[in-house]
Amino acid sequence: MIIGNYKQTYASDEAVFRTPTVRWWMAALGIAVIAFPFVAGDYLLYLANLIGVLALAALGLNVLIGFTGQVSLGHAAFMGVGAYATAILATRLGAPFWISVPAGGLAACGAGMVVGVPSLRIKGLYLAIATVAAQVIFEWVFTNWTPVTGGIRGINVPPARILGVPLADDLRLYFLIQGVVAVHYLLASNLRRSRWGRAFVAVRDRDIAAEIVGVNIFQTKILAFMVSSYYAGVAGGLWVYFMKVVTPENFPLSLSIQYLAIVVVGGLGSIPGTILGTVFMTLVPEWLKLGTGLAGAAWPDAGSYLFPLRDVAFGSLIVVFLIFEPHGLIEMWNRLKRFFALWPFEK
Amino acid sequence: MIGRKSAAILLVALSTALPPPARGAEDVITIGACQPITGRFAFAGVNLNAAFQDFVAYANEKGLVKGKKLVYVFEDSGYDTDRALACFKRLMAQYSPAIMYGESTGLGKAIAPELTSRYKVLYGSASFSSELADPKTHPYSFVSGPTYSDQFGILLEYIARNKGAARPKVAFFYSDTEFGKDPIAFGRKRAAELGIDLVAEIVTKVGAVDVTSEVLQLKKTQPDYVIFQGYVLAPIPEVIRAARDFGLKSRFMGTFWSMDRTVIDKLGKDADGYMGVNAYAYYYEDSAPGIAAMRAYNQKVHPDEKYRPSSYIQGWFTGMVYVEAINRVLAAKKPVTGDNLAAALDSIKDWDTGGVTGKVTFVDHKAGVGRVYRANTEKGQFEPASDWIYVK
Amino acid sequence: MSEGAVHLLQLLASGVVTGGIYSLVALGFVIVYKSTRVINFATGEFMMLGAFFAWTVMVGLKAPFFVAVAAAIFASALLGVLTERLVLRPLLGQRTISIIMVTIGLAAVFRGLAQIAWSGEYRSFPPIFPRAPIELGPIVLPSRQFYPFLIAVAAIAVVGIGFRFTRTGTAMRATADDQAAAFAMGIDIRRVYALSWSLAAMTAAVAGIVVGVLGAISPQLGAIGLRTFPVVILGGLDSIPGALVGGVTIGVLENLAGGYLDPLLDGTSVKEVLPFLVLVIVLMIRPYGLFGTREVERL
Repeated sequence: MIIGNYKQTYASDEAVFRTPTVRWWMAALGIAVIAFPFVAGDYLLYLANLIGVLALAALGLNVLIGFTGQVSLGHAAFMGVGAYATAILATRLGAPFWISVPAGGLAACGAGMVVGVPSLRIKGLYLAIATVAAQVIFEWVFTNWTPVTGGIRGINVPPARILGVPLADDLRLYFLIQGVVAVHYLLASNLRRSRWGRAFVAVRDRDIAAEIVGVNIFQTKILAFMVSSYYAGVAGGLWVYFMKVVTPENFPLSLSIQYLAIVVVGGLGSIPGTILGTVFMTLVPEWLKLGTGLAGAAWPDAGSYLFPLRDVAFGSLIVVFLIFEPHGLIEMWNRLKRFFALWPFEK
Repeated sequence: MIGRKSAAILLVALSTALPPPARGAEDVITIGACQPITGRFAFAGVNLNAAFQDFVAYANEKGLVKGKKLVYVFEDSGYDTDRALACFKRLMAQYSPAIMYGESTGLGKAIAPELTSRYKVLYGSASFSSELADPKTHPYSFVSGPTYSDQFGILLEYIARNKGAARPKVAFFYSDTEFGKDPIAFGRKRAAELGIDLVAEIVTKVGAVDVTSEVLQLKKTQPDYVIFQGYVLAPIPEVIRAARDFGLKSRFMGTFWSMDRTVIDKLGKDADGYMGVNAYAYYYEDSAPGIAAMRAYNQKVHPDEKYRPSSYIQGWFTGMVYVEAINRVLAAKKPVTGDNLAAALDSIKDWDTGGVTGKVTFVDHKAGVGRVYRANTEKGQFEPASDWIYVK
Repeated sequence: MSEGAVHLLQLLASGVVTGGIYSLVALGFVIVYKSTRVINFATGEFMMLGAFFAWTVMVGLKAPFFVAVAAAIFASALLGVLTERLVLRPLLGQRTISIIMVTIGLAAVFRGLAQIAWSGEYRSFPPIFPRAPIELGPIVLPSRQFYPFLIAVAAIAVVGIGFRFTRTGTAMRATADDQAAAFAMGIDIRRVYALSWSLAAMTAAVAGIVVGVLGAISPQLGAIGLRTFPVVILGGLDSIPGALVGGVTIGVLENLAGGYLDPLLDGTSVKEVLPFLVLVIVLMIRPYGLFGTREVERL
């Protein structure tokens, strides 16, 4: 049981991982992540890569909604911008992935800046609707700007290469994806603790009061949009190398809603919550599949109900979480930790 | 803190551990399928799946593949490329089938790199997209008949053969999806080659509610024929009805997916003159022995099913193609692998399918044969308006 | 009349007719927002369920059209009350994002349940209206569009008059304006909320039936709900006349774009995306729309 946490240097006070316990756990995590692909099967590896990409984009959305309180229903469109930018650079200019993916992020960042500009005048509900419009408009551009985006056919992308070795299968891609995700999570963690992070939170809580105190609301909001769409763009770039093809039908409104659900279920404003949310929302369909598979013994038709059941499960989870656990999965985890901190001495 | 990631990853590893893949016995050939049983293409997925189940049972019963039993495994993919991709990988991991079937162009394209480099199984799909009929980029994929471009070619041939004195005028009316746009570039070229004027190209969303401005454009350009592409039902009835309301005399045509009986059912009298191309014969055509066999089997096993739509026939025919390819490989005393199956497919020439379709020759992994049908509103059926037309 | 003029008039007429139908869909949004400040992302799904209820009664029980409509309205009203009580009441006072998400979640649940109950096949109503188109001089209006337009206008009129002249309507407007004051005046806020949701559900049911008559019924019918965002933003989120004006404007704009811009573009169509461009422009210059009330933020 930890009684106190005393720091003797500024460096140790400012460290991201503050106690030896946490540092040990982080090391264990790192080992587990590195060892995972060697013990997991094909399908689990695929899932892990998918979770990685989704978690990255979801973190961007959490920065926007959870930290800064700006509602966005257009996140998938930014992912699309990043994906297309990456694909175009990779195929037209032959750029290697370590240029094309960040470039995708920057392209999405630019798009985010454009979409974020109206956010000064409009708030809450209206901003949400504006982002829906942005989503629809971007989708239209993806489909119809054929000379650039390849139109409805999309763009086929060759696998990424490191030192000439193509990352053609999930195993090799895994390390790239998880590496990028880990770096960006650390960045977000630092952002949260920095001056800009505090500005984000101030704008979320009481923006007029923040303005009085000297926070430049407009710059802060635009920065939030830029960071959020950068994350989405990088996730889009990784997605392109993962799927090897990008088409306009990959980034619909339902994907934006899925990200929203991940962020809400995981915990608004919480970084580890984002991972929990992503893993949970990706695994729920798998559990449902197991369930309908088992029910198939008694009910041969159970399999055809799988997808509508997914919709029902998805919607019900959102509703249930919002009513009973508005702070998300991370709050459940924290409660669990608090309980065990004093167990069995306190009921 | 990011420490939660470890718990999360452990959860992943533990909770979704799958049983080790069941290695099939040597005399069993597994066919795996990702069918769109729910979702936008459900009407087709349900029938495709039924057809595969029936045909595999039929083939086993009649011993169509000497000495081997066919096993069919499937999963619902909901016409969603991500889910379909996951389904494909799951089935490959669990059953190691020799042959796979997929739901859409999207899946075909997404799986292509891994199909070529790693999985190497024969791949058929519900899609007639010309993109998949390219042996160079998709060596293991094939199309169960004519591609959409081929179908446009067949319709344009028909128009050219039946024109009067003047140059025929044609309009393309299609949806802004992959499905809709696939054959358009080829269609433009072919129309020009055949001396047909393309007077309008109209694009809409798939479930468009209001088609007035589109029909007004048709009214302005007065095409002799309007070819639909990329729709299954809506908004074809709306367009045809509105066109009649506005006094248009154009004749409407469709490609495979819009040649189902439901179009006649929904339109009633307005379906007069509606034509289109179908890759296969219809369930009620008595002159085809292959169809008769299909009907006899259904009579025996599903006596309540009075009618099977074209999607069912596509599934059945694809099963026939698989069996033909398997038999050729076995006859050459080679192992049943994706490479050998693909090579066997390429060797199919002038294959008599018993009237299910014309004589099948696979060129570039597609079989460019189809027939033009016309709606008979009294009988509520489509009747042949031409013989089997072959295109390259 | 010259051909060009007839073309234009036809586009305008069809635009008005389609717009009337959009207005009816928008009405569902407006009623909920007007009374409870909640934007109901599940409006489309309420529409879809209303259409399915009516279809089931009409085809399954072989009832005439009016009976089916009445049954659907009744069932939807119940659904609205249940939704408000079980889902929205616990979330009173929470932040915008939560309310938006909960209605989105609800929409997914409805879609899934509809798919399970009725399967994903496209259904249609048996022929209800006479087949012959309505001809006003050189203008032709297909019957499947015209009669639903009449229904839509009637429904909007009924709701508009109800809000303006009945006690209940006044109570709802009062609650929307200032909850505390309304409560102080003896208005039962909870009843008003329940009423608003059930009224919105009823309106959505009629809208769903109208759309179902026009096209086909399937669990995806609710997708049109999203297309009405431009309408409510243009008209003002809490204004009933705004829904009418906004709907007609968007319908006309769509048709004009389809009639004049689309023929110039080969292989693509701006008709669908234009309303969203309009939405963005409206949000930039006049976010509360033509008739919406300006929101004043009090600290």
